Amino acid sequence: MSLLSVENLHLQFDTDEGRITAVEDVSFELNEGEVLGLVGESGSGKSVTAKSLMQLNPSNAVYGPESGIHLELDSGIVEVLSLKKSQELEIVRGGAISMIFQEPMASFAPAITIGNQMVEQLLIHTSLSKKEAAELSVEMLERVGINEPAKRFFQYAFELSGGMRQRAMIAMALSTRPKVLIADEPTTALDVTIQAQVLELMKDLVKEFGMAILFITHDLGVIAQVADRVSVMYLGKIVESGPVREVLHSPVHPYTKGLLNALPKLDALDEPLTPVPGDIPSPLERPPGCVFHTRCPEVIADRCNASIPARADVGHGHAASCFAIKDMEEAA
Amino acid sequence: MSILTLVIVSFIVFSMMELVPGNCAERYIAFKNTQGQNITVEDIRAEERRLGLDKPYLIRAFSWMGDVFFKGEFGDSCILRLNINHLLSDKVWISLGISLAALFFSYLVAIPIGIYSAVSRNPIANNSVRFISYLGLALPSFLLALMIMLTTTVLFGESMSGLFSKEYRDAAWSYAKFMDFMSRAWLPVFILGWAATAFALQTVRALMLDEIGKLYVTAASARGISGRKLLWRYPAKHSLGPVINSLGFDLNRIFNDLPVVALIMTLTEMGALLIDALAFSNDQQLAGAILVVLTATIVFINFVTDIILALMDPRVRQGLMG
Repeated sequence: MSLLSVENLHLQFDTDEGRITAVEDVSFELNEGEVLGLVGESGSGKSVTAKSLMQLNPSNAVYGPESGIHLELDSGIVEVLSLKKSQELEIVRGGAISMIFQEPMASFAPAITIGNQMVEQLLIHTSLSKKEAAELSVEMLERVGINEPAKRFFQYAFELSGGMRQRAMIAMALSTRPKVLIADEPTTALDVTIQAQVLELMKDLVKEFGMAILFITHDLGVIAQVADRVSVMYLGKIVESGPVREVLHSPVHPYTKGLLNALPKLDALDEPLTPVPGDIPSPLERPPGCVFHTRCPEVIADRCNASIPARADVGHGHAASCFAIKDMEEAA
Repeated sequence: MSILTLVIVSFIVFSMMELVPGNCAERYIAFKNTQGQNITVEDIRAEERRLGLDKPYLIRAFSWMGDVFFKGEFGDSCILRLNINHLLSDKVWISLGISLAALFFSYLVAIPIGIYSAVSRNPIANNSVRFISYLGLALPSFLLALMIMLTTTVLFGESMSGLFSKEYRDAAWSYAKFMDFMSRAWLPVFILGWAATAFALQTVRALMLDEIGKLYVTAASARGISGRKLLWRYPAKHSLGPVINSLGFDLNRIFNDLPVVALIMTLTEMGALLIDALAFSNDQQLAGAILVVLTATIVFINFVTDIILALMDPRVRQGLMG
């Protein structure tokens, strides 16, 4: 069994307009030392999926009865969704799982020093004394490449640069030695050069700490750099998944193809961009059948809008959910 | 900065006192005239010389401001011919005491309830908080004062008006008089605090809701911080900044309400005196003195809240220190 496994995750939100489906039948596994990329446009449900792993979704979130999230630790298997009390939740909140967010500035409390926030977390999750926790925090700040770590420890987030803040965030997230790190668009708010540095750092740390990363982004370029495997999400469903090279070089789902085509090509700058046509439908008007059929260039009439395509394996651990693939196979 | 504000305000106050047609001497003499005395122009000039009113405007302005700032001396009232400091002394403290108590009361209630109602998902508690606070915002304080007085008079046959019982009214301050004062003062404090509470409650609630939605709170709970610690150390601490910032403003609002309530409840306090001096007796010296005292209080409170803010929030601290 793998370190983290998500099975049939269904997630809906109770709102004034009714129940909105955010995640539908999502399953994936994450192994030790592996980086899994979760790609999709905004609103595709990737952040919500990640937050489910820590039960961080707001209280109007309703998990489907068949949803299961299992975490295999040395101490046994943890059923994440059945954790209720805040003390139990500490295991997945900052203990075995840590999370870093898109906006490093906004994810530090503005009026509490970075050191205090790091120590506070360590006191919850470890048996260290305050002094030891402070020493470890400075050590971690140094490890992620922050200069003058002892000084930064006493500083506030607004006194650091963007890249430094995200490094500090990573230091804080890793200080409790989590098994899984969730990185929710960790480099989106950074300059490209800083972005490359932070990605390098994260790759190094995966090796050093032997943990797994769930890397969420809309940027396929970033995925190509860091991920081992990738899952592409659209409207709360995983439409295609597989090893990163397989998926990016030979995508089979029309949505993945569309995403890759939408990227500007450096060797043909004069070519017009080809965006995925149409907009993401409103969550209130979830399309029946295949959720992508309203925008799909390869849509099959009377089929895609009527039934949901099953997951089909195309080899090398590469799978996608699309009727068009099956037709290709049947034709072959 | 605060001191500069005070100087400017006092200069403006003095200028406004001057802009009113007629000076102190003329007004006093005119007042005497209505009492049946025959007054000549010579009398007026003599009175002006006695009061130093023949000197140029700027010199008088600075000598008045000098007296106010260095000696705390406001001179004599135009009409009442009494020393203003003497006239105001008790009233200043009573007014400030009532206003500050109302302010304290309103925040004491508003901060915890506002935070609770922002966090709580209990619809009954939430809606009743909303109902009461809208009632507080919509109900003018003088109406509330009238209603309470009517109720107490009908129910207990005794009016709750006034700040002192008869036997203490002119007595010197003592423990007994103080207790008597406290036993009656809670009512105006409550009435004034009511509207302020409603207002502060809405502010605290809105700020808190705003802060709770912020990423750093999610990030903190993603680190395993939960319960009261999560609430107070994170969003509450950060949402109180603007609340503290508005203290001076709130005090001003309470003070504006005070004269109306005071009039109904026949309280002897400074606001009522100000209206009297401005609207009826045209006593500019007295009105000016009250305005300066009021401004000084608000400026002082703003100064104090700035310091509290700087202690609480490192961003403000950096802004102040450069």
